[in-house]
Amino acid sequence: MNVTVVSPPVSPTSVSRWHSGRPWLGTLVRLGLAAVWLVAGGAKVGDLAGSGRAVNAYDVMPYDLAKVIGAALPLVEVALGLLLLVGLATRLAAGISVGLLVVFIAGISQAWARGLQIDCGCFGSGGQLAAGQSPTYGPEILRDLGFLVLAVVLVIWPLTRLSIDSWLEKK
Amino acid sequence: MSTRVGQKKAARVVRDQIAREKRRSRTLWTTIAAVAVLVIAGLIGWGLISAQDSGTYTAPPGAVEDGTGIKVGTGPVQIDIYEDFICPACGTFEKQTGDTLDRLVAQGKASVVYHPLAFLDRASSTDYSTRASAASGAAAEGGKFREYAKALFAQQPAEGSAGLSDDQLIAIGRSVGLGDAFAQAVRDGKYKPWTAHVTDAASGDGVTGTPTVRVAGKDVQPTTQAIQAAVG
Repeated sequence: MNVTVVSPPVSPTSVSRWHSGRPWLGTLVRLGLAAVWLVAGGAKVGDLAGSGRAVNAYDVMPYDLAKVIGAALPLVEVALGLLLLVGLATRLAAGISVGLLVVFIAGISQAWARGLQIDCGCFGSGGQLAAGQSPTYGPEILRDLGFLVLAVVLVIWPLTRLSIDSWLEKK
Repeated sequence: MSTRVGQKKAARVVRDQIAREKRRSRTLWTTIAAVAVLVIAGLIGWGLISAQDSGTYTAPPGAVEDGTGIKVGTGPVQIDIYEDFICPACGTFEKQTGDTLDRLVAQGKASVVYHPLAFLDRASSTDYSTRASAASGAAAEGGKFREYAKALFAQQPAEGSAGLSDDQLIAIGRSVGLGDAFAQAVRDGKYKPWTAHVTDAASGDGVTGTPTVRVAGKDVQPTTQAIQAAVG
């Protein structure tokens, strides 16, 4: 299968530089996204009940469902981080990352639109803000958009250096 | 076209087909493996939280019927106060509004249900929220919930600290007249399952932060004025 690179016609040297550099760049992106999930999940696994309350604070589902999602989410995040770290099924992991991030951005946006005063709980904590604290929805959404870009890059170019995927590809 | 070229071409077609087939099955298997990892991770989380939930609790005497809080007074209007013993805003609220609540109770205007929940266990290194709430349950058993809660807020530890030790919790209990049964209940963590119940029930009732104040079931700003206005 030929890999078609979507880029404007440029001089042959820069094309070959792109070809040799891209998989390494991809490795950086993959490890970066892995770190995001590992840190986000790791900060929450110690307090699964608290994670459920953070989900509940978004006020979009019954508490019993929020509790289950809040408990499952940190472990799924850690698992996603591990898959990306070793580079197994990168395209799938990146695709699921895209889905999760879109859901997170939607959740924060609706909280913002409804004027809820909550902490996003993205990296632990979460829940309603104390009196006098103001929400930081804008920066939270921008940050998630940045992560979304990383995930999309990996969906488009999943094969990166130092990954199980590319090792299997060569075999 | 010579036969040799044709053979080469045919061989390449076969090779490509085999390679495609291999790639397809590899993608299938890595996908199955990855999905399995994610599903198992999610199920582990679910299993852990379900295990935490299944504990049975004993509500202390003085608790409301469903065990979600301690009722003080018999006034007609019910005020619900959701507090966490380490939450700084709750400490401030107690300082500013605690006396008003006691007065409303004394005047027979309102009854107050205190829900000492543990949202902020991660704010201390020793799960102070849970330990303090469980100790307040033990104080309720000794008939001194309100006195004890006030004393705890008066000596509220800072967020991010280790909180008060069990010995300190017991000493504060003795200072308000609680005895050995109280001390034993604190040491045994007798009311910790009750704290979990109070916390979970509050979340189920839509409480997402502390202090939360409800008068006759409606959210009210946690200020003296707002509460007095709502009670009427």
